[in-house]
Amino acid sequence: MSLDVRDVLNIPEAGPRPAKKQKTAVPRTNLKGLAREVQSLGGDNPIAIVPEVSLFKKRRFGSRKPAAKWELRRFTNSARGDNGALVLRHWRRKHEDAPHPEDQMQDVQSQADQSAESGQEKADDKPEDSTFAKFNVQVAVPQYSEDQYNSILVNDDWTKDETDYLLQMVKDFDLRWPVIWDRYEYVPRGPQTGETDGAESTAVIPTPKQRTMEDLKARYYEVAAKMMVVQKPAQYMTKPEFDLYEIMTNFNPAEERRRKEFAINTMARSKDEAREEESLLLEIKRIMARTERFNEERRELYQRLDYPHTDQDISIYKSSQGLQTLLQTLMNVDKSKKRRSLAEGAAGPTPTSAGFAAGQAGPHHPSSDGPGNRRESIAASASGGHFRRDSLVSATPATPADATPTSAADKKKKGGAAQFERRKLSDHEETIYGVSHHERLTSGPTFRYEKINKLYSHKSGQQQLRITNLLTELDVPSRLIMPTAAVTAQFEVLWAAVTTLVDLRKVSDKIEAEIKLEEAKKAERDRARGVLLEAEKKGEGEGGERAVPDSQESGGAAEDGGDAAAAGAGGGEGEQAGHSETTTVAIKDEDGGGQEKARPGSSGAHKRSASVLSAASDKSAKRQKK
Amino acid sequence: MAQQQPLPSSAQPTDVYGGDEVSALVLDPGYFSTRAGFAGEDVPKQVIPSFYGHVEGRDIFGDEVLIPRANFEVRNYMNRDSVVEDWDVAAKVWEHLLVKRLQPERPTPPSKNGLNDDGDGSGNSNNADGDGDVAMEESVEDMEKPLAENPVLVTEAPWNTAKSREKAVEVVMENWACPAFWMSRTPVLAAFAAGKATALVVDVGGANTSVTAVHDGMMLKRSVQKSHVGGLWLSGQIRSMFETNEPKVNVVPSFMVENKKPVEAGAPADYRPKKFDFEIAPSFRAFEEERVLTEFKESVVEVWRGQGKLAAPQNEEYARSQPGRVFEMPDGSNQMWREQRFKVSEGMWDETAAYPAPAGLDIPQVSKGQTIPALIKACLDGVDVDLRPNLLGNVVVTGSTSLLNGFNDRLNNELMMLYPGVRVKIHAAGLSTERRFGAWIGGSILASLGTFHQMWISRKEYEEHGPNIVEKRCK
Repeated sequence: MSLDVRDVLNIPEAGPRPAKKQKTAVPRTNLKGLAREVQSLGGDNPIAIVPEVSLFKKRRFGSRKPAAKWELRRFTNSARGDNGALVLRHWRRKHEDAPHPEDQMQDVQSQADQSAESGQEKADDKPEDSTFAKFNVQVAVPQYSEDQYNSILVNDDWTKDETDYLLQMVKDFDLRWPVIWDRYEYVPRGPQTGETDGAESTAVIPTPKQRTMEDLKARYYEVAAKMMVVQKPAQYMTKPEFDLYEIMTNFNPAEERRRKEFAINTMARSKDEAREEESLLLEIKRIMARTERFNEERRELYQRLDYPHTDQDISIYKSSQGLQTLLQTLMNVDKSKKRRSLAEGAAGPTPTSAGFAAGQAGPHHPSSDGPGNRRESIAASASGGHFRRDSLVSATPATPADATPTSAADKKKKGGAAQFERRKLSDHEETIYGVSHHERLTSGPTFRYEKINKLYSHKSGQQQLRITNLLTELDVPSRLIMPTAAVTAQFEVLWAAVTTLVDLRKVSDKIEAEIKLEEAKKAERDRARGVLLEAEKKGEGEGGERAVPDSQESGGAAEDGGDAAAAGAGGGEGEQAGHSETTTVAIKDEDGGGQEKARPGSSGAHKRSASVLSAASDKSAKRQKK
Repeated sequence: MAQQQPLPSSAQPTDVYGGDEVSALVLDPGYFSTRAGFAGEDVPKQVIPSFYGHVEGRDIFGDEVLIPRANFEVRNYMNRDSVVEDWDVAAKVWEHLLVKRLQPERPTPPSKNGLNDDGDGSGNSNNADGDGDVAMEESVEDMEKPLAENPVLVTEAPWNTAKSREKAVEVVMENWACPAFWMSRTPVLAAFAAGKATALVVDVGGANTSVTAVHDGMMLKRSVQKSHVGGLWLSGQIRSMFETNEPKVNVVPSFMVENKKPVEAGAPADYRPKKFDFEIAPSFRAFEEERVLTEFKESVVEVWRGQGKLAAPQNEEYARSQPGRVFEMPDGSNQMWREQRFKVSEGMWDETAAYPAPAGLDIPQVSKGQTIPALIKACLDGVDVDLRPNLLGNVVVTGSTSLLNGFNDRLNNELMMLYPGVRVKIHAAGLSTERRFGAWIGGSILASLGTFHQMWISRKEYEEHGPNIVEKRCK
């Protein structure tokens, strides 16, 4: 804030101001044209007004030249075509080579009062022509003689007189058809104009025809085209001339009329119609753009799908040795190439021909591995397909660049090879990104659920039915809804367990049937032997009944229970009597019993498998409890 | 054919901008005022009312002479169609403008101005007589051809008759020895003033409203539409509105008020009328009343510019709620005008909304085909369909009544409604002088164009062909 303002606002001075000191130190820029008081108003901040220094007077005094001389000069306009009858005068710069000062004086006088002597002086030199005369242009209108008209231009609808009138109009209005049509007022004057006796002439006065613009144009073009041909036959015409001729002969008044009707309708559209049309036009534009894009995408897709064909014999690569050699050569080529490209300083990998290699390598892999392997191979083949696409984008199959490591898929580096030159993925990352490594790859992409289907296809129909029954029992759908890699892996494990279970059941059923048979035989024998042992047998049966629920409750409790032979027989009876459902544990029991309890280890193993099963789906256990 | 080709830009002289002034005069007579000036200027030098004073057998011209006098009558040499009616007076008015007002007084040559005469008249009487004769001759000569240097361009209404045109060329050629003459239609010139050769000219003038299509600098005769819905008609509407107003408004022209006292709004006027010891002619009073109404038009009247017509109920409500304007009459009575100021101009657009024509004045009621939208529609129906979109894209508005507030907005709305599918662009000069003197400015441009000088009807042509050459040449 400046001093003065402080004073006005009654603000005490804020101590010593360093700015002021600064000001004293730095010489202020000398602003010219500002009063000192005005300048000090700004205080420390210089006023941002740039004083305008007017140099008018100086400049004027400095460069004083004699004033330019002007004269009122007479001129004519040759475009008028009246031989200079109209002489107008305008001011022009006087030429520097003016002869004498007294001439100038005379000129001045002549401007003032047009004295006779100056007129004399001017008379000898003709007034100059206007510079604008050259802008006068005339339309060339066809000319014809009487004979020419009678021979070629006769038209029923048009008299010669009216044709003349039309051509005169065309000339007058320089082919401006709207004006010609607007001013067209042909009053026919036939021979009857000569006979002046009133009644007759009024009787025969033909009504002037209402000519539309199309009529006028058609007639004029007809005349003009015919006269063009008369002057110059069509075959000798130059290109522009012939074009003009064509246009004139092709003039179609009916079409013009239709077009104009259409235009009138367009003008008469209501607001809504106009808006609708506008929106439709927009829509069309959008659709066109979309088709364009769609076509573009399709073309691109085709380009991608279009794999490189080879006309060379590829049979040598069909064996694994052949592939090995191919790999080797590619590697070598790649290495040399890399070295060279490094030497050249070219950055980035050259386009790959991985697809070429992978595409060839893929189909020959046998796909008869175990389920786990197969899954891997499917995943790998899928990724192999992906690589192929990549390579096709780059679309230069002939150069085997860093394709070599990719084709090393055979050598278990498939996944890693892709990142050969990129960074290594950690195990965790690999699981995140779903990277898997495979021994061998099948050709083409496959679906994971198909892999599951394949598992079924190896079983007989009976078994398939059993397996699906069991799976429904376990509440697991036989077809996976979301077959991710992890789920399919789990499902495979489950599936293996289920198949084992089914196998075991089959065995147990068989054994059961045998036991029944034996028991029936035994009962037969006992009956024959008499009722002596009856009481004893009853007691045993009751014990068996009691034992079964126990065994259901806790794993192998029944087995642990001690003497296997009695329990096994009793358990078997109990099952037969009460439970239609066979429990897994019971099967194990049966199995253990069936194998004459000589191998506790094996039965232990079975137990473990059962626990695994229950772990795989504890739903099944719950269901069994029910 | 070859010479029809335009010059290539390299061959074109760079110093040619089109102007070439030959000190032509431009005369633009209208019903309310007659404009005259030098071609090449941007406003007319002289604007006088077309009304003139007639006092004791004498005609006097100019705004300043129209004051209350005895035996004074105000007349107009133009009729309400903007066509010259009284040719004798027209010649006088034009001479007054072109010769007296536009030509500078020339100094008398020193030999004749009397300052160099020696004292005694007896000895030199012969000589003096002789001198006097010469002077007389010369001054007569001067008087006979005062405009020998100046070509004259006269404007005319589009519906001007052939007879009237011939009369005009006669007046100009015979009276002041003009070297050349031209006659041009006002819409064409208004279009030129707007910088357009093709335009739909809507000219809302003092006595008439006309709509004309101009194509390439040519008026299209079949498109000419005119109606009396102009300034005079609007004055009639205001009078009707004053009649029906509560309290009734009495138009007292300023010259009749000696002294006035301020009064409340709506209260009767409290003023002392001026006493004249002679009778004031009704024509003079009407002329003065018209001045008051013109002021009212300028300061109060507005055109409804909202959506749709004013007659729509919600619009009327809205107009009523808008802030009004106070107008104080010369006698001191004043009133706030609200929706009425929209209503008086509504008849221009909607004949059903017009006030009934005032009694006693020769102003007919507006009919259906006379509203501005109807005129435009009729005009466009009279031209080729190919031209219509172009014309609608070049609508030129001119005439002083078009200076009403909101006129252009309303015109735009109406045109959009009439032709929804076409691009409508209105060109209206922003300066009020340009709007008022549109035709004169166009004439000024035209007469100062270098290429125009081939068009002038020269004196020689006139003498050869007679006055009907104007029909042949000025098409």
